[in-house]
Amino acid sequence: MKPRHDRIEEAKKLSGAPGCVECGRCVAACPMAEMYANFGIEMSPRGIIKKTLVGDDVVADRNIWYCTECNSGTDVCPQGVSCRDLIRKLREAAIEENVVENAKRCEACGRFFLAVPVEDFVFGRLKAEPANVLKALETCPSCRREIYLLRNA
Amino acid sequence: MPETRPQSGLTLEDLRPREPEKKKFSDRFMPRRNNTILFDPAKCTGCGTCEMICSTRNVANVAPASASVKVLSDEKLGKNFAVLCQHCRRPLCLEACPTRAIEKGDDGIVRINDLFCVDCGLCTMACPEAAPLKDPGTGEIHKCDLCEGDPLCVKHCPEGALTTTRGNAFRWIKAARWSVQALSFLFLVILVVGTFCYFRAGTVELACPTGTLQNIASSGTLILVGASSALALLILTVLFGRVFCGWVCPFGFVLDLVDKITPKKLGWPNFLKSRMAKYGILGGAVGSSAVLGYQAFCTVCPIGTLCRSYGVQSVMQSAELAIVPALAATEIAERRSWCRYLCPVGATLGIASLLRLLKIVIGARKCKKFSCIQCAEVCPVGIINADELREGVSPKIPMTECIMCLRCVDRCPYNAAKVRFRWQKSTPGEANA
Repeated sequence: MKPRHDRIEEAKKLSGAPGCVECGRCVAACPMAEMYANFGIEMSPRGIIKKTLVGDDVVADRNIWYCTECNSGTDVCPQGVSCRDLIRKLREAAIEENVVENAKRCEACGRFFLAVPVEDFVFGRLKAEPANVLKALETCPSCRREIYLLRNA
Repeated sequence: MPETRPQSGLTLEDLRPREPEKKKFSDRFMPRRNNTILFDPAKCTGCGTCEMICSTRNVANVAPASASVKVLSDEKLGKNFAVLCQHCRRPLCLEACPTRAIEKGDDGIVRINDLFCVDCGLCTMACPEAAPLKDPGTGEIHKCDLCEGDPLCVKHCPEGALTTTRGNAFRWIKAARWSVQALSFLFLVILVVGTFCYFRAGTVELACPTGTLQNIASSGTLILVGASSALALLILTVLFGRVFCGWVCPFGFVLDLVDKITPKKLGWPNFLKSRMAKYGILGGAVGSSAVLGYQAFCTVCPIGTLCRSYGVQSVMQSAELAIVPALAATEIAERRSWCRYLCPVGATLGIASLLRLLKIVIGARKCKKFSCIQCAEVCPVGIINADELREGVSPKIPMTECIMCLRCVDRCPYNAAKVRFRWQKSTPGEANA
């Protein structure tokens, strides 16, 4: 297994994080501001990039699990830093090191497919729906399709 | 004064599909319906033409992975299935979208506004059908917009497995049912007094089967003439199911009218909801007749009271008429509560309908299940299980409870609800149906 330091270096290199000029455009574009009441510098893309660059323990940090992995931060970045790729790599490192309390497993196949805070947001929005519909949402999309195929075809 | 509206920020309420404020009368019988794609798994060969043609519209390139339709194939079972957006009546993706980029238009098409969409993919997580939304190559969100009403996948499907439909143009079953109900109300209640309970014209004799049962019990003798006249309704039930309840019963007509003025339902507590209660009441009615020596239930029966008490009658019978509004008031809790839980006439017909020839099926192949559920909404006796539909299973309909009003058949936009003979196994849409 690669050491954690190597993984973070790889994530930095892949996402172009050292080029960040802290302009904050990604924070302005980030949909997390709409999603979480406690949105702040800790979970914002700029905050994660900064923490990664100064060498904090980002892999064990819960704040990397709020991201929806959209691409809006990268689209607006003047330096071409991909905050999505950075967070993906950090999450991959966390899963490899078995820091998985914030990753959501598919009920059917057992693979990780979503982050728990993101799932909480989705379920919060859908709390008026009946329980059996929400149960279908606990599986990853490919398993949902598989179940649907077996039932209906 | 101009309409005041917050200048910034759409709320979810702005995007949710809204019912038109005022329905025109013609909409009740000739509803304007939207184009929807139907998929028939029996015809699909899994060739993937729909994926390819769809991707040319999404990314201007033939890249099946980027399509808004996905063909699944099960090699072991030899089955193919196309997953595509069903344009739900109440879309979950709309609720889940953090930037409120998804909206359902008046034409029923669920669209993504590219100005607001940030490709986060939460709609993929909220879709119970797992319709393909996120392009695995670019990470962009492409959603089916029915090609604005003329879908390319339907045009190019070589096997005709994908079709579009707008459903029935005219709700003729609804028109026919209301006319038959009004006519039978006119005949049974207003024109001829006492017709439902007992009717004789020359040699034709008809009688209420429940009344006849009580008659037999109270007199202690089997009156063959009375029993044979009661058979007419039972034979009708054996042939067509409980059509009497849905199409003829004058009290049912009153309940349907009361339902029109009480659209909001309060619901009964669960411990009162027992469909077996009406069989108990039937047994009680027959038993009490045997003990008391006269037809005790018939004096309070709302159907009989309606038929008998109209016109110049004794004060006693006019007072009996009060039972009708009292029981019609149960309509504020659930539609046709009387018929569901209490009516002993319905219970007699329910027993007779064990031998019925017809059944109603909701075919798995054409039904769009989760995204529609209109049949469960319109069913007046609530026997179509919405939970089964939500789980993606075609519901089993208990035919002893079904009043054969055919509302589900009339309402289904996809022709999935059908009347079938009970020995027919095929569901609508199958190859040899």
